[in-house]
Amino acid sequence: MKKKGTILIENVVFIILNLLFLSVLVLFLVNQGSGAIVLEQTYAKQIAMLVDSAQPVMLIKIDMAKGKKLAEKNGIDFNNVVSISGNIVTVKLSEGKGYTYAFFNDVDVSAYADEDDKGDDTGLYVLTINKKEEVATNE
Amino acid sequence: MNKYNKDKRGTDKILSIYWFVILTLIAGGVFAMVYVFYGAPYDVREIESEILSEKIADCISNEGVIDSEFFVDNIFNTKINETFNKKCNFNFNVEEEYGDANEIQYFYEVEFYTLENIANPAFSFYNGNSNWKGDCFIKKENGKEYTNLAKCTEKRFYALSEKGNQYLIKILSVIGKSEKNVRQ
Repeated sequence: MKKKGTILIENVVFIILNLLFLSVLVLFLVNQGSGAIVLEQTYAKQIAMLVDSAQPVMLIKIDMAKGKKLAEKNGIDFNNVVSISGNIVTVKLSEGKGYTYAFFNDVDVSAYADEDDKGDDTGLYVLTINKKEEVATNE
Repeated sequence: MNKYNKDKRGTDKILSIYWFVILTLIAGGVFAMVYVFYGAPYDVREIESEILSEKIADCISNEGVIDSEFFVDNIFNTKINETFNKKCNFNFNVEEEYGDANEIQYFYEVEFYTLENIANPAFSFYNGNSNWKGDCFIKKENGKEYTNLAKCTEKRFYALSEKGNQYLIKILSVIGKSEKNVRQ
């Protein structure tokens, strides 16, 4: 009787270790797919492609719920995740300098986090595309 | 009997060790594959070059009629390349991460063919960094996909001038940007 019990414990330990091993593997895969570096690059390129194919006047909403979750986890304000300077879009979801990508469409783009009636972030980002205003020159 | 049981337990333990060695090898393989997959940047250059060619086509013709700016006294306007980028709202500035500072990562070429002479263009113009153009032909000649080369899109369509002359228009758009789209 005593012997049978020993064998059972060994098997249970073996199964638990296997499960632990598989869980670590799955967690690693899930974390890699939703990591800051991967998401920053995905969003930056996605926004650049959207702006490139857009025409003035347009309003585009982009779902960044995953990014919002990650930004909050990393202590980044969701309102500062996307910034557009000239024709370069920067997405920052962690403490690093973020990921930048250039778009060729020379339009006036502004990006801001969408808020609901209560003033909470909805997880969407709004891109407004307008025609670039000509700079008046005095000759 | 006792001796037999003892040996069996030993075999079980050795089997378990082998099992974990195999699991470790599998895990190593998975980690390596994931690293290779997620470590490589997403390549969006093909989409980008397609969008660029679409934008150029939209600038050249509206509802199948070539823009009047392309002609001066019924002859092709040879100065169109000076104003075309502004007309189409193109800004070819790029971020600082690319090899040579301020190296333009875009190129496009537009060729107009009359239906009487499809072999030689009646008029053509280009803008951007012409160094990228060669990459398109290297790929074509060998029939292979070289990821470090620029991505090209060729688009062709027919359009009429305001006088009713028919033209075949070929657009070649090229995107460099390999630093941001290909693992270096």
